[in-house]
Amino acid sequence: MHIPDGFLATPVWAAMDAIAVPAVAYTARRAQREFDEARVPLLGVLGAFVFAAQMINFPVGPGTTGHLVGGALLSFALGPAAASVVMTAILSIQALVFQDGGVLALGANTINMALLGVLAGYLPFALWGGGRFRRLAIFAGGALSVLVSALAALSELLVSGVRMPLPVLGLSLALFLVSAVIEGAITLAIMEALLRIQPGAARADREFARPGWSRVLAMVSLAALVLASVGVLLASAAPDGLERLGEQTGINSRVRTLLHTPLSNYRAAFMHSDVLGKAAAGLAGVGLVYCACLALGRMAARNRSL
Amino acid sequence: MRHVVLDRWSRGSSAVHRRDPRAKIVPLLLLLIALATANRAVPLFAFELVLVLAAGLWWARVPVLGALARAALVLPFAASFAAIAWLGGDPARGLSLALKSYVSALAVLFVVSTTPLPALLRGLEAMGAPRFLLEVTQFLYRYLFLVSEEAQRMADAAAARNASLRSWRGSGERFRASAGALAVLFERSYMRAANIHRAMLARGFEGRLPTLSPSRFNVADVVFAVLSSAIPLALRLEGVKKVL
Repeated sequence: MHIPDGFLATPVWAAMDAIAVPAVAYTARRAQREFDEARVPLLGVLGAFVFAAQMINFPVGPGTTGHLVGGALLSFALGPAAASVVMTAILSIQALVFQDGGVLALGANTINMALLGVLAGYLPFALWGGGRFRRLAIFAGGALSVLVSALAALSELLVSGVRMPLPVLGLSLALFLVSAVIEGAITLAIMEALLRIQPGAARADREFARPGWSRVLAMVSLAALVLASVGVLLASAAPDGLERLGEQTGINSRVRTLLHTPLSNYRAAFMHSDVLGKAAAGLAGVGLVYCACLALGRMAARNRSL
Repeated sequence: MRHVVLDRWSRGSSAVHRRDPRAKIVPLLLLLIALATANRAVPLFAFELVLVLAAGLWWARVPVLGALARAALVLPFAASFAAIAWLGGDPARGLSLALKSYVSALAVLFVVSTTPLPALLRGLEAMGAPRFLLEVTQFLYRYLFLVSEEAQRMADAAAARNASLRSWRGSGERFRASAGALAVLFERSYMRAANIHRAMLARGFEGRLPTLSPSRFNVADVVFAVLSSAIPLALRLEGVKKVL
C-alpha cells in the first residue's frame, strides 16, 4: 500500500501533496491542542510500538501469516488527530529510512493511510464503540481502515494510468478484502487483550456517550468515505462504463444539462489540457466537499457549545 | 537491524555530511520532481542520475555498492507493476516505472545516509514542517530500536516455546496468544512512555527539544545547494533537447 515515487502521474501526486500539507498541519495543530505538548514522548513511543508490532506474526492459514497495520488501534487509543500524526510520522520514517514509499508520493500515502485510513478506522468505533456492538465496531474499524486505504491507493494508481488488467485488479481487490478481515480480527483480538490488562485503555470509554449531531456527522462521514473509495475506484477502473451504459439505454439522448457547471463531465471547462482539467476538477470537487464538511463541522461545534 | 547501517553511514564526517540539511533537501526535491515529470528518454536520464548519485556517495565516503543494493528494496514492488505493464504490451512504461522508483529511492538514500535523522528533521522544521509532527517523528525514531528489540525478543520467546505457524492446528489459540503478546507490548510501551515523560519533566522538559548546535546556512551550503540542484535540472533539459 506504500506507493513509491515514479508511479503516480504528476497531477495526482501534486494534488495529493497540495491536499496533504494543510491537512497534516491541521491535524498536527488539533492533536497539539488535545495533547499536552510535554506528552509528545507518548505519541512517539506508541508510533515505535506500531512499527515493532509488525514483527509479531499472526497465523491466518497454513504457512501464511499476517501482521497489524495499526491505524485503527492507534485511533482507538489516542483519538483520530493524534493517531493521524503518529501514522504520518511512521510513514515519514518508512519513506526516509526504509525506502518504503516515496517522498513525492508521501502526500498520497499520508492521505490514504494516515488521514482516510485512520478516519475510516475510527468512525465505526465513534458510532458504536460504547454500546453492545462494540466488538463489531472494533472489527469494522480495523477492516475499514485497511480497505479504505487500499482502495484509495489503488484508485490513485489507476487514475495515474498504471496498467492493471481485470484479473489483476480482481485479485488485488480480493487480497485487500482478506487483508481487511485480518486487520479487523487482529485489532479486535489486541483490543480485547488490552482491555483485560488495562480497562479504560480505549478512548471511546471516556468519550463516546454523545448523541445527536456528532453521531449523525460521523455516520454520514463514514458512509461518504466508503462510498467515495469504492466510487473513485470504479470510476478509475472503468471510466467509460457509465457513459456506455447511458448510450446502451438511450438515456444520454434524453438527458439535458439543467445547470452548466464548470466541473461538468468531471473536467474543469476552463482548462484546455485533459489531464490538468481532470485534476483541477477533482481538486475543486474535493475543495467543495471540504468546505461543506467544514461548514457542517462549525455548525455542529456551535450547536454543542450552546 | 537494517536501518542501523544507515544510521552509521549518516554519522560520517565528509564535506557532504557537513552541509546544512536544507542544502540537501531542496536539491533532493528538485531531482525527484525532474525525474517524476520526465516522460521521454527516461532510461538515459535515470542512468545519468545514478552516475551522479554514485559519485556523490563516493565523495561522501558512503559504501556505493551497499547503497545501490539498498535502494533496490523498492524493486520487488516496482518490478511487479513493471512486469504487468510489460506483459500488457507497454515495455517502455514498465521500464520507466522501475527506473523512476529505483533512482528516487537512491536519491533519498543519498540524503539520509549523509544526514543524521535528527538533523534532517531540524532542516524540515526550518523549512516550515509542523514542529509537533517532527518531534513525534524524532521520538518515534529514538525508541524504534528499543521497542523493536523488545518485540523481537517476544517473537524469539514464542518460537522457543514451539509456537510454529506451519499448520492450522491450534491456530486460534496462537492467534489469541499473539494478540496477548502485542497487548503486553502496547502496555509496556505506554508505561515506558510515561516513565520517559516523568524523567524528561524532571530534567526541565517543557515540550520542546533544545538544539545544542544550531545549524547555520553558510556560503559552502549555498554553493552545494545551487550545484546539486543544477545538475539534475541541466541533465533533464539536455535530455529534452536531444529528444526534440
